[in-house]
Amino acid sequence: MTALASVRALLARRPYAFAALLTLTLLLIDIAVQPAFAAPSNWPAVLASFAPLACAAMASTPAILSGGGGIDISIGPVLTLVNIVIVADLLPNGLTSPLLVVPICLAVGAAIGAINGFMVAVLRFQPVVATLCANIVVGGLATQVQGGSVPTGSTGWTKDLAGSFGPVPGALLTIGAPLLIWVLLARTPFIKALYAVGGDDATAYSAGMNVPVVRIAAYALGGLYAGIAGIALMSLISEGAASMATQYTLLAIASVALGGTALSGGRGSLVGSLLGAGSIYLINNLLNEVNVSTLWSTAIYGALLLFAVVVGAVLTNTRRRTA
Amino acid sequence: MNEQSQAERPAVLEAAGLAKAFGATRALRSCSLRMPAGEVHALMGENGSGKSTLVKILTGVHAPDSGTLTVDGRPVRFGGPAAAIRAGVMAVYQEVLVVGPRSVLENVWLGADGVFRRRVAEADKRSRAAAVLAELLEQVPDLDTPVEQLSLSDRQACGIARALVRGPKVLILDEATSALDVATRDRLFRAVARRKAEGMSVLFVSHRMDEVDAIADRVSVLRSGESVVTLDAAEATTAELVRLMTGSEHLAGASAADVAGRAPDPAAPVLLRAAGVRLHPGAEPVDFELRAGEVVGLAGLEGHGQDAFIKALWEGPPGEGSVLRTVDGTGAPIRSEQQAAAAGIGYVPRDRRAEALFGTMSIRENFSAATLRQDRRSGLLSRRAAQERFAPYRSALKIRMGRGSDPVSTLSGGNQQKVVIARWLARDPQVLLLNDPTRGVDIGAKRDIYALLAELTARGVAVVMLSTEVDEHIELMDRVLVFREGALSATLTRAELTRQSLVAAFFGRTVDEGPVSGTVAGPDAGPTTPALTPDGAA
Repeated sequence: MTALASVRALLARRPYAFAALLTLTLLLIDIAVQPAFAAPSNWPAVLASFAPLACAAMASTPAILSGGGGIDISIGPVLTLVNIVIVADLLPNGLTSPLLVVPICLAVGAAIGAINGFMVAVLRFQPVVATLCANIVVGGLATQVQGGSVPTGSTGWTKDLAGSFGPVPGALLTIGAPLLIWVLLARTPFIKALYAVGGDDATAYSAGMNVPVVRIAAYALGGLYAGIAGIALMSLISEGAASMATQYTLLAIASVALGGTALSGGRGSLVGSLLGAGSIYLINNLLNEVNVSTLWSTAIYGALLLFAVVVGAVLTNTRRRTA
Repeated sequence: MNEQSQAERPAVLEAAGLAKAFGATRALRSCSLRMPAGEVHALMGENGSGKSTLVKILTGVHAPDSGTLTVDGRPVRFGGPAAAIRAGVMAVYQEVLVVGPRSVLENVWLGADGVFRRRVAEADKRSRAAAVLAELLEQVPDLDTPVEQLSLSDRQACGIARALVRGPKVLILDEATSALDVATRDRLFRAVARRKAEGMSVLFVSHRMDEVDAIADRVSVLRSGESVVTLDAAEATTAELVRLMTGSEHLAGASAADVAGRAPDPAAPVLLRAAGVRLHPGAEPVDFELRAGEVVGLAGLEGHGQDAFIKALWEGPPGEGSVLRTVDGTGAPIRSEQQAAAAGIGYVPRDRRAEALFGTMSIRENFSAATLRQDRRSGLLSRRAAQERFAPYRSALKIRMGRGSDPVSTLSGGNQQKVVIARWLARDPQVLLLNDPTRGVDIGAKRDIYALLAELTARGVAVVMLSTEVDEHIELMDRVLVFREGALSATLTRAELTRQSLVAAFFGRTVDEGPVSGTVAGPDAGPTTPALTPDGAA
């Protein structure tokens, strides 16, 4: 029991340690099963196929951290909408410059996130209900923009994002951008305010914090990250993918939970969600590599995920300490 | 009285004619308060006298319905705590408000920065937080420790430090000392004295006479939502304050239930026996016997154990001790609500909306919820059977309502309460536990409930009733158990019951006693009640 206690003590200080350990273990197994997986020439492709989920997981994090039952289940549709807007609207109309495309995508994501935040923090809708509505509306918009056929397209910089800029894997940009933005925001009071509001909103309110503005900003930040995820997805598949929205929504939230972030808010980290997404990506990859029948792989994959979440919960002892 | 000299000094905070109603409940009728700079002003009153509402208006949590508020002579209207803090009014509550997973430093400086703009430099924060915490605590904790790892008293010290580092003009301590250990409380009083000399004023809400004696310059008394008087602390003896808090006038009109004429039989069988029930770790255990035909009141200041005790009779003791439902000398222990209900105990909870009513269902469904079995006709529920069962209770309790199929929400609070009571009466209980059944109930409905209790006890039913109203205890109870700091502190029999003796017992005194230096409870003595929600709704 003392070993368990010390693991728990570590996880109390570093809630993402479990996801880190799991990711590392799975990485070693993946490499053992398929040595080519680790070859440097393979890195850009591996990272590019990981980037959409990694960004989606990070996009789901701020809303959950902001507490009050906060969650954003519109992340999946937002990222597919952005993906489709690039392929179906921007590129065919000659808008190919990243200086134009990237800001548009980020603005679309952040605007939808801000609307979600407004519904939650000001109109006081249940976060699940508000973002479920957004999920349906944005998903419908994505389907409409995509149209009857699947649009395809790519341009120089999107190919580089899926490959590499010189020696640097392009996906490091899309995965690194949310982390960088987080680090910059941590130099302002915002991140601390986010944790405080998520940890105890009554206390934050009584201390004079602007609770609604913090929450709106959290959802907008998540939306912005979903915009980055959309760019990552578009550059990876070079086509519209309205049907992938639901999968990303669910896996992103699973990543956050796996990464040690409490769904009750106020505890967790962005890095944890990234590592959680890493675990999920590697489990998926492993099942592909050992040629598990696709008829079975989803069920096995779900069961493994459940196992990981249960083990993580037991180790982390997520029950809130009261004294 | 020292009104002359106090009037000459300019007021830092002045409230005039504040009123606030929540629905039909007038929490504050007319409250006025004047605080010059550099004064410690105690605010006292019974439960429900409007103290909390006043504090929430002063801190911007509630907006007053009428009346004015001025800070430094300028009229203000606070849209929320942020606005009040900007004007220099900051409060610390009985409930310890900290963000558990965040550090001591972050908790102390919570709210000082904007959402994106930093207003206090980080290095400044560390030194100032350490300096203020050193005033309050014997040993300053590591500023980077998550605050949830500190003791309750130290956490509350962080909450107080949060107010002090902002340098407020008016510091409101709303029973904030109840969570502090003695040494920390004494250091707080010294810190307050130093800041008082620099011009800070303190509004000190406390139920503890010894604390008021220790630091207050003046004392204001609130009663039934109205300011009664402001006294110099030197004039404020215990007896005088108790008289002012309770008022000399008695509620008009005699009770409809002629309880005074009843004489409970001292040899009646014991129906319920509690032995060695410890309500809080470290508190004295409670022993209690309830006899058939008795009405026993539970009283005390909010959160001093009476609520925990009535729940222990229903759910079983929280820790040590036992509750026995006794029949002919032998008894079955009560460890859960199910066992209690099966043993003929009925419980009417305090929070009607959350714990007792099915808000969206009809009056009839609310009545029959606990006795559905009796409405079965050939395996199906019969609406008519429920209607027929309900009819006698409806007339006995004088429930004023439309049709049984109307939503229960169409009834007034008093009539809703009668439906809940009828639900339990339908199970024919031998012991009825009522947790503040007349809260928010109008006077007519109260009388109906009193009459019902008289009738029930005449049939041998025993009643335990928690009430926050002093008058109810005086009119109704055969004896009253007074709780203080998690333990039974006094038992007043019918002959000893007066408003003065009861309220004095709340404060751990007898009527004739003058101020004495009472003992101060440890941090676990007073469980807290939620003070705030983010949108300011109670």
